[in-house]
Amino acid sequence: MSSEGAKLDRNVWKLWRRNGAIWAALLVLLTLSLALAYVPMGLLTPAAGIVIAVAKAGLVILLFMELARAKPLLRLAALSGVVFLTALFALTLADVLARQ
Amino acid sequence: MSEATGLLREPWEYFERQRGAGKFGIWVFVASEVLFFGALMLTYTVCRIDHQNAFAAAGRETNIWYGTLNTAILLTSSLTMAVASQAAAAGHHSRRLVISCLASTAALGLGFLVVKAFEYKEDIDKHLVPGAQFALHEVGAQLFFGLYWLITGVHAIHLTIGIVLVVRLALLGQLGKLQLDENPEVEVTGLYWHLVDIVWIFLYPLIYLPGRAS
Repeated sequence: MSSEGAKLDRNVWKLWRRNGAIWAALLVLLTLSLALAYVPMGLLTPAAGIVIAVAKAGLVILLFMELARAKPLLRLAALSGVVFLTALFALTLADVLARQ
Repeated sequence: MSEATGLLREPWEYFERQRGAGKFGIWVFVASEVLFFGALMLTYTVCRIDHQNAFAAAGRETNIWYGTLNTAILLTSSLTMAVASQAAAAGHHSRRLVISCLASTAALGLGFLVVKAFEYKEDIDKHLVPGAQFALHEVGAQLFFGLYWLITGVHAIHLTIGIVLVVRLALLGQLGKLQLDENPEVEVTGLYWHLVDIVWIFLYPLIYLPGRAS
């Protein structure tokens, strides 16, 4: 029974270490995003905010939501949202940015 | 596997099928939510392209400390949710860990709403609600705050639903009325919770960061 308890402790420790590292990376990215927002770099300043948000979302989706080791069907379902979102943005911005 | 059989529901013959179907269902829902919030963010993008200076001026009026604190709170809640979900899925018989992680997740979600309430109070005091009394004079600043109230409001509703779902699991688990070990409901609720976190990850640079460098 005690060896089973030790095994549970080890598993729990592994869980916290793995997910804690992802959490720490997310907080570092948040701090970076906050700092870069105050640096005047023209269009690069808002772009940095979005790029960092994409990186953070990537960490959450692939590791917290475990899409990195999910079955192909789940990846396809997740990808469908991104595909249609890309179409939505591409078609709308192709019009808006081409005006004048 | 033997423990999981108690969780098997109609119409599935095997527990693994049931679990797969639940996950597939929530991922399809997540994809539809991506389009829902994506359309709102696209509206924001189009308005910002037309009113760049007004959006910078309006972004400067938001309280960056409340926004950053809330982002950190939600990221931390995703950590506790991920641990709860993975511990339950692994079936380590770690009921106490799952319940305490679920409770922490719900508490952090509530903390987010409390900070947001303080922020809304400040916004109202600063006359940042679109209308006749609106504080900023730049054309387009009202568009920013119209979208701010709409998107953060819809996000808060999503988070409230998430808190209810997480509290339900924690309570039923604590009362012994629901087996949490290997229960796909924990994973599915977790996937919804992370979605709400991801939406906020994108709202943070759109709402709080514009206009800080100028």
